[in-house]
Amino acid sequence: MLTTNNLTKTVKLPEQSLTILSEVSLTVNEHDSVAIVGASGSGKSTLLSLLAGLDTPSEGEVELAGHPIHKLSEDERAAVRAQYVGFVFQSFHLLPGLTALENVMLPIELKEDKNAHKKAKELLVKVGLAERLNHYPHQLSGGEQQRVAIARAFASEPKILFADEPTGNLDTANGDKIIDLIFELNQQLGTTLVLVTHDDRLAERCQRLVRLEAGKVVEDSVNQAQVVKGDTAQTDKVGTA
Amino acid sequence: MRGMAWRLFRRDWQSGEVKVLFFALMIAVMAMVAIGTITDRTHRAMGEQSSEFLGADYTLRTPRPIEQEWLEKGRSEGLQLTESTGFSTVLAKGDEFQLVSVTALGGKFPLKGEFEIADKPFTRGQSVQAQPEVGSVWVEPRVLAVLGAQKGDEVDFGSIQLTIAGVIVGGPGQASEMFNVAPKVYINQADVERANIIQPGSRVSYTLFIAGDIQPRENFIDWLKPQMNKTQRLTGGKEGTPALQASIERAETFLRLASLISVVLAGVAIAVAAGRFSRRHYDYAAIYRCLGMQIAQVHRLYISQLMIMGLIGSAIGVVLGLAIQQAIIVQFADFLPKPMVPMNWAPVIAGGLSGLVVLIGFALPAFFQIARVSPLRVLRKEMVPQPVSSWLIYLLAILTMALLMWWQSGSLKLVGILLGVALVAFIVIRLMAWLIFKVGIWIGKRGSTAVRYGLGQLKRYPAFTISQITAFGLAFIIMLSTVLIRSELLSEWQSQLPEDAPNHFLLNVQSAEVPTLESILAEQNVETAGIYPMVRGRVTGLNGKPIEEAVSEEAQNDGSLRRELNLTWAEDIPKANTVVKGEWWDNPEHQPDENGVYQLSIEQKLAERLGVGIGDVFEFSIGGLVVKSKITSFREVQWDSFEPNFFMILEPGALGENMATYITSFHLPLEKKSTLNTILREMPTVTIIELDVIMEQVQTILDQVTAAVEFIMLFVLLAGIAVLYAVLQASKEERVLSATLLKTLGAQTKFIRMTLLSELALLGLFSGILGVIGGEVLVSVLYQEALNIEPVLHPWFWLWVPLVAIGFICIAGWWGLKSLLKQPAHQVLRQL
Repeated sequence: MLTTNNLTKTVKLPEQSLTILSEVSLTVNEHDSVAIVGASGSGKSTLLSLLAGLDTPSEGEVELAGHPIHKLSEDERAAVRAQYVGFVFQSFHLLPGLTALENVMLPIELKEDKNAHKKAKELLVKVGLAERLNHYPHQLSGGEQQRVAIARAFASEPKILFADEPTGNLDTANGDKIIDLIFELNQQLGTTLVLVTHDDRLAERCQRLVRLEAGKVVEDSVNQAQVVKGDTAQTDKVGTA
Repeated sequence: MRGMAWRLFRRDWQSGEVKVLFFALMIAVMAMVAIGTITDRTHRAMGEQSSEFLGADYTLRTPRPIEQEWLEKGRSEGLQLTESTGFSTVLAKGDEFQLVSVTALGGKFPLKGEFEIADKPFTRGQSVQAQPEVGSVWVEPRVLAVLGAQKGDEVDFGSIQLTIAGVIVGGPGQASEMFNVAPKVYINQADVERANIIQPGSRVSYTLFIAGDIQPRENFIDWLKPQMNKTQRLTGGKEGTPALQASIERAETFLRLASLISVVLAGVAIAVAAGRFSRRHYDYAAIYRCLGMQIAQVHRLYISQLMIMGLIGSAIGVVLGLAIQQAIIVQFADFLPKPMVPMNWAPVIAGGLSGLVVLIGFALPAFFQIARVSPLRVLRKEMVPQPVSSWLIYLLAILTMALLMWWQSGSLKLVGILLGVALVAFIVIRLMAWLIFKVGIWIGKRGSTAVRYGLGQLKRYPAFTISQITAFGLAFIIMLSTVLIRSELLSEWQSQLPEDAPNHFLLNVQSAEVPTLESILAEQNVETAGIYPMVRGRVTGLNGKPIEEAVSEEAQNDGSLRRELNLTWAEDIPKANTVVKGEWWDNPEHQPDENGVYQLSIEQKLAERLGVGIGDVFEFSIGGLVVKSKITSFREVQWDSFEPNFFMILEPGALGENMATYITSFHLPLEKKSTLNTILREMPTVTIIELDVIMEQVQTILDQVTAAVEFIMLFVLLAGIAVLYAVLQASKEERVLSATLLKTLGAQTKFIRMTLLSELALLGLFSGILGVIGGEVLVSVLYQEALNIEPVLHPWFWLWVPLVAIGFICIAGWWGLKSLLKQPAHQVLRQL
């Protein structure tokens, strides 16, 4: 599903260049759930942005669903995202101008699917917001907003879902609900899951854990308990190069 | 995608995101449409009115009969043509006779406007557009008085007799014939041959009156001009009323300039609001991009929104603009010529289009920016799109302004000048903003705690602060200039044409008749502007030399030396005159000096043209007598005062009483018109010039233009407020953010309020000062260069513009902030 090879990201500063990510090679199989953890500044978010094609690597390769996205243009990457990728963000990133329903419809419409309305409604019902379809984001609580965001992320039936600290802005109770929801949908829809988190509870739920330190992968381990639970999932042990 | 653009627009509208942009756009379109249609209609109505003075769109006057070929060409163009023959002759009745100026009409006249023919002098008559019937004559009131005749009487005309069929009380040519001594009569062309009155050697002129639709008319004129020789004179409609022309042109310049300014101001507001809109939409665009939207799709989404806004805003602007112009037209319907010239759609379409042009020119760069945001912004807030080169933004805005100016003025040269001035002005204003800010900081150091905190806020982002001061200052400069110029123009017009401005002139009053005249007028409570003796004399020498030797070649050609001048004497300085150099008579006995030289006061501009100074001695030849007179003062004369005015005023005693006839002017209201009958009965040889009709028309046009000026000022003020509001909106986030941070750090609400208000007040103060300085400079430049008015300072404004600026910015700024400040900090931070 997702393969990287010697993925490196450096940024040029006035005097020197700074390596944020250094030679990361990973393979994520279909239906895997992977937690990327690490301290602040370890390069988690950068890795996520490269994996999802939001940014391009300085060196190395990323292949997403068979597309060499490191070689693609902005628009080509956008097309790959529209086709295969869903996102959940720490700060929800709902469009304030659209209702909950319209927010969820957007990615479906981008795929030119005529059933956007029906599908979006079903998803919102699934995340427990049947009563909130026509509310605008600012009329929803943080937990509700994140549920809309999750519904939106799954709306395009993505092959892979990227989540950036999805519980970061929520209290424990709401955070737990959100975690449950993500994994529930993940199970139901068979989505591959890559998430960046500080939240141990969230990391524990993943089958695999990749730990970054100063831009390098220092740990890549399989969470046996979760592998057993999700018996369809397979793991590949991949170390740092 | 369209549907989505519409949804987003609706939503952005509800959240107030696009309101400023939308209103600014509407104001621009409204101003363009209302002012465009009003000036267009007034302009054309004036053309019509001056055509009425002339009796046609054009007149062609020649000393020989009109070429047959010209007539044929004119008729083939579908024009209305009337030929006339003009000459002087004598009308007689019994023993009485009067020299008259005859116009023999070969067809319908006037082609534009109407004659007003009455049964008796100075009464209202019937409107007529025809020629007198064969055997009849229309006469001016004077003729009846001199001949002792009335309507229906027969008068001798050459070898035949004509019946007086009516008295001309109104009609074409009333204005231009002010100093035509012989009264006018109109007859039928056929009677000229019958009377056998034109002999070889008679002085005859032939006039062709031309009227018709613009296109064929101008075609014909273009065809005609090259074939004309020097003795033939073509007068176009516009030249009919030169005195009025200057005022109107000035007003039109002002209106066009002001409507342009309101558009440019609106453009600035649009640019600021669009900048804010695009910054606030980077996040959303990043989400679109993240969700897989192509750049082009995001572009389309936002450009569609912009177009939706443009179309709706322009449409509403057009409707409101039309409503406003209709309101003005209706309000002044009583004064306007009927039927009022129909509206042209061109200025409406131009106004509507200008909205889209302004939107594209000022908002497009910002909107274009939105889609260029990196999708990475969803993870990293600090990712902003590569800015479009600011040169590109300015270039587009400048091009837009140039296009609009060109559209309005039609002169590329003027556009160049205006743009150059605007560019220099912008740089100067920014520098001034910087300077005021620096001085403010320096002075503010010693200020109270509140002042220092406010300054501290402003100092944190100096570039942003200077931009805000510049934008606010610019708005104040423009608003102030508009207000000042408007009041200057209005008061100038008021003084030009006060309610009781003289509207009748009396000429040729004999000195023996002066007491009679005075008593008639006194009886009717009519006040004159003074009864002045008038003596015609020629300047023959200066300082003992013949005049040709004494002055420069240029001065020799001055009209005042080439013809006889109207000289007068006066004890006191006339009302509409001011001595600007030297002194009014200093010898109360009015004795000549030892050389027999009297004192003389000369009009300042004439003195300059002739190159003479105080102490120079003129020699006048008056009916064979030589009178010497020494210049002792220069006068400034208000020529448009409708009072008798003179280039040269001599000391009493310098001119012989018996050489003079007298002239006066007075205001005669309609209900006292019959006084003229009394005057004519008592003094049949007096010449009466009625200006009341013309002045009424002048007043009407001025009223109309005044209304337009008031409205345009409203537009400029609205556009200015839009700029202020847009800038306040655009800087709101920064303000709220720093206030929220202070709050998070534990600052008291009272302290936060003080800091914010002090910051806003200082911004107001700085931009108010900038507004006053810039406004005064701009106004004095405009006074001198564009409006020909002496510049003056306006000290009152120095106080109240900064006060208004502080008030407005504090109130509007605080109003936008206060709801946000009440919310808990984390909620505020989430909304930003």
